[in-house]
Amino acid sequence: MNIFAKLRTQQLPVQTPRPLAVVGLVALLAWFAYQPLVSAPFVNFERSMVFVYVVVGLGLNLLTGLTGQISLGHGAFFALGAYSSATLVNEYGWQYWTVVPFAAVAAFALGYLVGRPVLRLTGLQLALVTLSLALITPSIIKAFDDITKGQEGIILDTAHAPTAVGLERDQWVYYLCLLAAILTLVVCHRLAHGRVGRSLIAIRDNETVATTLGVRPAVTKTYIFAFSAALAGVAGVLYTWVVQFVGPDAFGLHLAITFIILIIVGGIGTTAGVVFGALFVVYVPSMTADLDQSIAGLSFGVTLLLFMFLLPTGVVGLLRVLAGYLPGHGKRVAGVDESESADLDPLTLSK
Amino acid sequence: MQLLMQQMVDGIAWGSLYGALALTLVLVYRASGIINFAQAEFAMVGAFVAWQFHDWGAPILLAIGAAMVLSFFGGAAAELIFVRPLGRNASHFTLIIITLGLMLVFNNGAGWVWDFSTRSFPEIWSGPVLNIGPAVLSRQAFAIIAAAGIIAVILYVIFQRTRVGLAMRAAVGNPESATLSGIGVANLTTITWGMAAVIGTLVASLAAPQLFLQPNMLFTTLIYAFAAMILGGLNSPPGALVAGIIVGVVENLAGTYIPGIGNDFKQAIALVIIIGVLVVRPQGLFGKKEVARV
Repeated sequence: MNIFAKLRTQQLPVQTPRPLAVVGLVALLAWFAYQPLVSAPFVNFERSMVFVYVVVGLGLNLLTGLTGQISLGHGAFFALGAYSSATLVNEYGWQYWTVVPFAAVAAFALGYLVGRPVLRLTGLQLALVTLSLALITPSIIKAFDDITKGQEGIILDTAHAPTAVGLERDQWVYYLCLLAAILTLVVCHRLAHGRVGRSLIAIRDNETVATTLGVRPAVTKTYIFAFSAALAGVAGVLYTWVVQFVGPDAFGLHLAITFIILIIVGGIGTTAGVVFGALFVVYVPSMTADLDQSIAGLSFGVTLLLFMFLLPTGVVGLLRVLAGYLPGHGKRVAGVDESESADLDPLTLSK
Repeated sequence: MQLLMQQMVDGIAWGSLYGALALTLVLVYRASGIINFAQAEFAMVGAFVAWQFHDWGAPILLAIGAAMVLSFFGGAAAELIFVRPLGRNASHFTLIIITLGLMLVFNNGAGWVWDFSTRSFPEIWSGPVLNIGPAVLSRQAFAIIAAAGIIAVILYVIFQRTRVGLAMRAAVGNPESATLSGIGVANLTTITWGMAAVIGTLVASLAAPQLFLQPNMLFTTLIYAFAAMILGGLNSPPGALVAGIIVGVVENLAGTYIPGIGNDFKQAIALVIIIGVLVVRPQGLFGKKEVARV
């Protein structure tokens, strides 16, 4: 099998020796905890956005990567969270953090209501419905302009650190987003690697077989859709803490594409891939922003095409293939039966 | 009464646009089994090319004609480069992502070349409005309706009266048997993509004076075209045209007569139609029910 063929088939995860993994994790956490204290506010906000996208991406990864249900419409739930935060804090004087459980429940409920009928559809129809949802989200927001202030948007000033903590706003928001990302990561990791995760993969690969094994596809799919919607809603709240502004045009097609890039670039179906994806969607546009208005969108489009053709398993797939050439790992990965790894192939999903 | 007539006439005019765009989606769906999310962007770029020719001094009809010829090759090239290499067994997921990628590339590519500001596009038939009973219709809107009708007739003749059309129908109906009978299914698919792009360029150029030419000009139209495609039944070309007109009329009447549906909420009607049809009658009004073997 040459390297291009390898990049197209899903490789098994690389086994890191346990001590190395623990040391690496502790070092990474320490770095994350220390960095905001010595970084500029702008840098902290940018990193906070990475965490926000990680929260959304992990939910979408469960839905699309594991369960095989594509959704381009999660921007609507993200918008629901963002506008809940803006309105409840500004108009009704809620504490900013109390909006988080509210948005989670509201987005879960809406996700359940939308998911129930929509998830009966096949891959193409589901993509069409959710893309339509993404296209009309801005105009729905504008239609409720007595609450959402329409095109003007809402400016809010929130998420200041308690005086006892003594942190700047940017540092406080960074830590809150970091906490949210870590909690989501733990929950999604547990979900993906347990009984639930196995039933999700069963639904993706063969619904009929999954049913005979006691999985109820309709119910499971709906709950996962609602769960990922809830995460998108929470992320929407976090987003308002970082950006301090909501406007309708932030929640259209571009956001839908950003969410898709989020799970594809890193490697669909992998948790680590979501982190790569989040880094990509935050830093690539900000690097290209000063070139031309259209470059960010253009680079996203070209990225989608390139990854689908050359690297469908994403950055994680690439790393796994490269790890296969390391001494010590070579034998293990090369010895994997090809038919076995084909079962993990994410590109057969929603067929 | 006059308002009702006027809304109907407007609905039919817009509906012809939705229907023609839905038709291009349906042609591609029948040939390749995918919904090409970039189809409206192909049409938008076609209209930009026509504008460019006109800007260089060509008369508008000639400019649109030249753009249509070019878009045939553009559409065919898109299929050759991005869809054919994946083969017939590519997963829906891959194809969805690729057409989304194309949508972004075309949209932002047009923004890069021609920038995002709106520009005016000359009408092919200007002059005072036409009177239809108590209602009025602009000449350009009439041209759109006429174009949709002409497209329908031409497609009917191609599909029902020519050898190529017969081969195309065979290729869609049963690709394996068609291949065994010596029909070049892959090439016909490419030609179909080209044809769809030509139709798209024509209707986008005709709608451009009203919508104003800019890269996002067909975003709103696209949702209604999706609704028309689903309502007409995914794989039925005449169904797409009829459903387009139905969607156009319903959207206009609802916007006028149902209180609380302003211009912004009108787009939600398209989504309601899409979900409603898919849940209640997935094969649409004119589509063939898909039978799956488990």
